[in-house]
Amino acid sequence: MIEFVSGISVVCFAASYAVALACEASRLLFRSGVRGAAMIAFGVAGLVAHTLFLAWRATHEPAVPLSSAFDWYLLAAWLLAGGYLWLTIANPRTPVGLFMLPVVLGLIGAAQVSSRTPFPQSPATQIWGAIHGIFNLAASVAVAIGALAGALWLIQAGRLARKQPPLRSFRLPSLERLAHATDRTLMIAAWTAAAGFLSGIVLNAVNRQRGLLETVPWTDPVVLRMAALVAWLVTAAVAARVTRRSADGPRSAAWLSLVSFAVLTASILWGVFGTTRHGAPPVQPVVSHAVDQQAIDREAAP
Amino acid sequence: MTLAFVGGTHRTVPLALRERLAFSAEQAAEALTRFRERFPGREGVLLSTCNRVEFYAACAEADGPPPPPDQLVSFLAECRGIDASLLTPVLAGDRDEAVVRHLFSVAAGLDSMVLGEPQIVAQVKQAWSLAQESRTSGPLTGEMFQAALRTAKRVATETAIGRERLSIPSVAVADFASGVFERFDDKRVLLIGAGKMAAETLRYLRVAGARDVLIVNRTAGRAGDLAARLGARAGRFENLSAELAAADLVVSTTGATAPVVSLELFAEVELRRAGRPLVVLDLAVPRDFDPRIGQRPGVWLYSVDDLAAACAANRKSRQRELPAALTIIDEETQRFMGDLHHRSTAPVIERLRAGWSETGDAELDRLFRRLPGLDDASRAEIRQSFDRYAAKLLHPPLASLRSESRAGSPHGLLDALKRLFDLKD
Repeated sequence: MIEFVSGISVVCFAASYAVALACEASRLLFRSGVRGAAMIAFGVAGLVAHTLFLAWRATHEPAVPLSSAFDWYLLAAWLLAGGYLWLTIANPRTPVGLFMLPVVLGLIGAAQVSSRTPFPQSPATQIWGAIHGIFNLAASVAVAIGALAGALWLIQAGRLARKQPPLRSFRLPSLERLAHATDRTLMIAAWTAAAGFLSGIVLNAVNRQRGLLETVPWTDPVVLRMAALVAWLVTAAVAARVTRRSADGPRSAAWLSLVSFAVLTASILWGVFGTTRHGAPPVQPVVSHAVDQQAIDREAAP
Repeated sequence: MTLAFVGGTHRTVPLALRERLAFSAEQAAEALTRFRERFPGREGVLLSTCNRVEFYAACAEADGPPPPPDQLVSFLAECRGIDASLLTPVLAGDRDEAVVRHLFSVAAGLDSMVLGEPQIVAQVKQAWSLAQESRTSGPLTGEMFQAALRTAKRVATETAIGRERLSIPSVAVADFASGVFERFDDKRVLLIGAGKMAAETLRYLRVAGARDVLIVNRTAGRAGDLAARLGARAGRFENLSAELAAADLVVSTTGATAPVVSLELFAEVELRRAGRPLVVLDLAVPRDFDPRIGQRPGVWLYSVDDLAAACAANRKSRQRELPAALTIIDEETQRFMGDLHHRSTAPVIERLRAGWSETGDAELDRLFRRLPGLDDASRAEIRQSFDRYAAKLLHPPLASLRSESRAGSPHGLLDALKRLFDLKD
């Protein structure tokens, strides 16, 4: 069993999700009695392998979820894959996978090109680090789900405006439900992204104050892109709230959620391919900060 | 011949004659009782709906044939007091496999006025139940109707022939209004006009959960009557503007010759709606709503033509499923006929087995008398060997019989077996 679990690789679950996506895409081409079962089977297989992979890393490697960029992306992908399965089982005729699985695969791809080295941590900053990671994760998942709801709203509104009856194997949720989801996720994304950014500032300040680890400069690309993302998400949430009572409100919210997703994607790409001090190990002995490794060890001592 | 049927549908029997020919439940029960007395030992099922009257008769081969179609026509004419000569040209009859294929198609809704309509399954089931109660159903019709219901289920689950909606009110509610609103129990429904289409649409809205329904009509009395009948509230036509501002879904079916809601009137209403979405099902001809209202943000306006186009698309979609449904009918008919033919070989197989068993037992008794020293275990072992030997020898002819049954009644093979093994009837 241990050998089996340790043998699971990223390719295993990525391939399962890819097959599930291919099944979803085939909805557009032909009808099939077994496709639904195959889609769920591959989705479940992927999620199980994904879960075992993360569990293995958490128990056998110094890499609990969120402790490295690699694990962060994989955890975000895991949450979205779980959401995909839940939505597919609850609404088998709604093609959510067509929109969610590419995001899942994209996050897995981002994980593959990200560093697997755990972020440097000390016990004092561990809690702030976890809060920072969790809020950023929640914001990213909320943006992805909001974009899904927004895209489906626009498609459904287009079909209804063209007076087209729903397709048998491509049934979309109602505009009311999608508008509610878009509105809610925009708000959640703004709050959690802001909380993630603020907790990052606190984390950086603690590091700077205690001189425990290398601090991230305020001009670091990660800080700038996160600030831009938070600014956009807060603006989008406020704009959605303001236009909520207008007849065009749901359409505006749908577009805002799609643009939010584009901003998030650009931010992730910037993070993946850019250079940063975020999460990097100390570049030099931290004597200049009047602290040495012994200080970290003392901090860690019970 | 073991199966016969005669019947007519909306396609062959004029409405006036169909009305005279139709059987109520009591009349059908009486007819079946009369059939039992007239044709003892024969099985019969009467299917009477608003679009068809059909009589299915059956009889096991050994008991002689069931009444032929022309006798069934006379019987139906007699039951309904109609001159048989009026029915003969419009009722069609058939026998054996064609009967099975027809019943399976009927049960699956492939012979219905609305292709794939699901109500016919319940009507077929009721017809069979009535025959059971009247003691005219038997093993043959029982199996045929069970197989028909099974076939209908297969067609319904394996094809999409009955899934698309075809009536304007059902398409309006299920395909369009439900595309905008998730639920209807918290929505205000406004019916403008008190026409039949409004009542029909409201029926679908009620099923979808609508509770708060207001009816306005130029003639207040008609609105009040309809509201009382449908459990809704009646409002004043003079308050139309205010009611439009409060409504989430509007169904309009007035007989007005000019638009009841102009763009100017709606512009006033729009200001009071606070951006809430509005679905308008304009089922009136000429239209009650200015079509330009449909271009306003948050307004989803559907006219009769829009809905009729959706119905036509759905109808085409059902037609596309027809070949797949017919393939299922074909498979199930072949399977049923194969089973039916195979069952007709049962007496011969029974006699063949019995003959071999008797011979084997006689031989074993002789053997055991000659070998008195054999203990019980040895005797049992020898008996088992004999049985296995007989089964292996019988297997090829029985397999051939089964194989022949699939193509039809294996009379030739049965005769050969009877002569070869000297099997007496």
